[in-house]
Amino acid sequence: MSDLKNSPFLLECKDLLVGYGSVLSTMSVPFDFSLSAGTVVALMGENGCGKSSLLKTFAGLLSPVAGTVSLGGKLLAEWLPRDRAKMISLVRMSSAEPPRMSVSEFVRLGRSPYSGIFDSRTDEDKRIVEESMALLDVVNFANRPIAELSDGERSRVFLAEAVAQQVKVLLLDEPNAFLDIPRSHALFRLLKKIATERDMGIIVSTHSVEYAERYCDRIMVVNGGAVRVAPANDARKSGLLDWTEAFDVK
Amino acid sequence: MSLLKKIILPLNLKLIALEVLLRRLLIGFVALIVLIFLLCIATLCFGAVNIPFADVVQALFSPGADVSSNILWNLRIPKMIAAVLAGASLAVSGLSLQTVFRNPLAGPFVLGISSGASLGVALALLAGIGFGSVGVLGSAALGALLVTLVVMFAATRFAQTGVLLIVGLLTGYFIDSIVSVLIAGNSSESLRVYVAWGMGSFGRVTLGDVWMFVAAVVVGMVLIGVSLRYLNAALLGDDFAHGLGLNVKRSKICVLLGASLLAGATTAFCGPVAFIGIAVPHLAYLLFKTTNHRVLLPGAALCGVALALLAGLFPASVPLNAVLSLVGVPVIMWVLVRGSGARM
Repeated sequence: MSDLKNSPFLLECKDLLVGYGSVLSTMSVPFDFSLSAGTVVALMGENGCGKSSLLKTFAGLLSPVAGTVSLGGKLLAEWLPRDRAKMISLVRMSSAEPPRMSVSEFVRLGRSPYSGIFDSRTDEDKRIVEESMALLDVVNFANRPIAELSDGERSRVFLAEAVAQQVKVLLLDEPNAFLDIPRSHALFRLLKKIATERDMGIIVSTHSVEYAERYCDRIMVVNGGAVRVAPANDARKSGLLDWTEAFDVK
Repeated sequence: MSLLKKIILPLNLKLIALEVLLRRLLIGFVALIVLIFLLCIATLCFGAVNIPFADVVQALFSPGADVSSNILWNLRIPKMIAAVLAGASLAVSGLSLQTVFRNPLAGPFVLGISSGASLGVALALLAGIGFGSVGVLGSAALGALLVTLVVMFAATRFAQTGVLLIVGLLTGYFIDSIVSVLIAGNSSESLRVYVAWGMGSFGRVTLGDVWMFVAAVVVGMVLIGVSLRYLNAALLGDDFAHGLGLNVKRSKICVLLGASLLAGATTAFCGPVAFIGIAVPHLAYLLFKTTNHRVLLPGAALCGVALALLAGLFPASVPLNAVLSLVGVPVIMWVLVRGSGARM
């Protein structure tokens, strides 16, 4: 925790280049970025531009091709895996779904980084799991298998797991891809709420300009090989979103 | 109404869920332990010669030079220990492999681990490499380890578990064909011994070498036991487990090593015992209705022990694998089709 005080940012990258092994994704210009507590950043860009690779790099699943990523003022690679898991979580709606696992069993996994070698749970853990489930309103179907949930329910369950993990940085990969409009609004309102209430930094990739502008503090755009960031209310004026309407079907 | 929904409903559901869960766990474990105890007594009492319970107790606590003590200590007790170890080992091995490979069909047979042990035995018996019972055991363990190393090498090269499963299957086929070639070119007495070994039996372990079996099983169980956190997370994939702060590669190797040690030791001592490894994990799930390996692993181990003891009660003239499959397959199928277990 002392590391946190050294840096004003939860997550920070310098001269970052992202890709698999030494193969670059479409991003070819090194970029700097920093995420502060209490903010929600929308990550936008065309399909295949490297949004997911970027999120994976932030989560430590991919090593940077060049440049550095630091979490709470310390290089990501220097974190112990268990301590890193208490700080940052990447939520992907397309994770494997074990057919037999119930919602409560899944949310319970969020306490895994805090547990001992035999994966037991303390009363404190149980309380946090219940709190997270209540916050995301998934208690009503706590005993249903996650594989049988609707997309809206599932996205809330995945969020509840990350909340139970008590991370400071939450990375979400297209959480509203399968959600209808009211549920998408609800989801983004919720993200804004947990970011402010819990002092978290959230990066959420999405294809929706509307949600990005309405609910996010900043917008990060991957386009033409470069990554640019602007305040959400300024993005359109500064031309950051021009690419969204520049595609013509010939 | 919304206040009611937010406060009372969750509490209520929580209490009911907790109560149901605890009752299920308690009943399940107590029932299994009682069943295993009864089966152990039956194993000691019944056989080619039936020994009255009173004589069994007497022979147990004050062994004499009489026939009962002789049968009990030289045949029945080693057989009971072998069945207990084999049942627990195969069930735990099968469950952890199914979890790591996220495949309900995975098991020591599918991954070729049992084939590896068979190759070791075949080489020892048919090709004349290795001598005596220790030689057969050693080469069986070596064969199982060899296949595991191949699968583990694949595990470090390929991230997808599907590839590993294919590597395991292919290795198994490859080894089975080597064994067929060895058998084809052989017509000696040792072929008969090999065929008998291939039928599977709990009756071949002696009190003299059972400690090796125990040691291998303990090490295997410890390797899997320390990977509990990984096993619980592995159901959601390696990236998810990484996100929970696990060293995925190290944990996976630990589990694979443990699972192959358990399966290899069992195959070496009891021959290839089919069915328990693949079916018992599903039985354990149906009984305990949880994916938490803290419950599922001991649950599967106890189910495996009960099943192995039960199969061991049949006359020695009936091959063990035939008993397990003849009795077990219809039962499991019925349970899977009837119960919600059809969902993998």
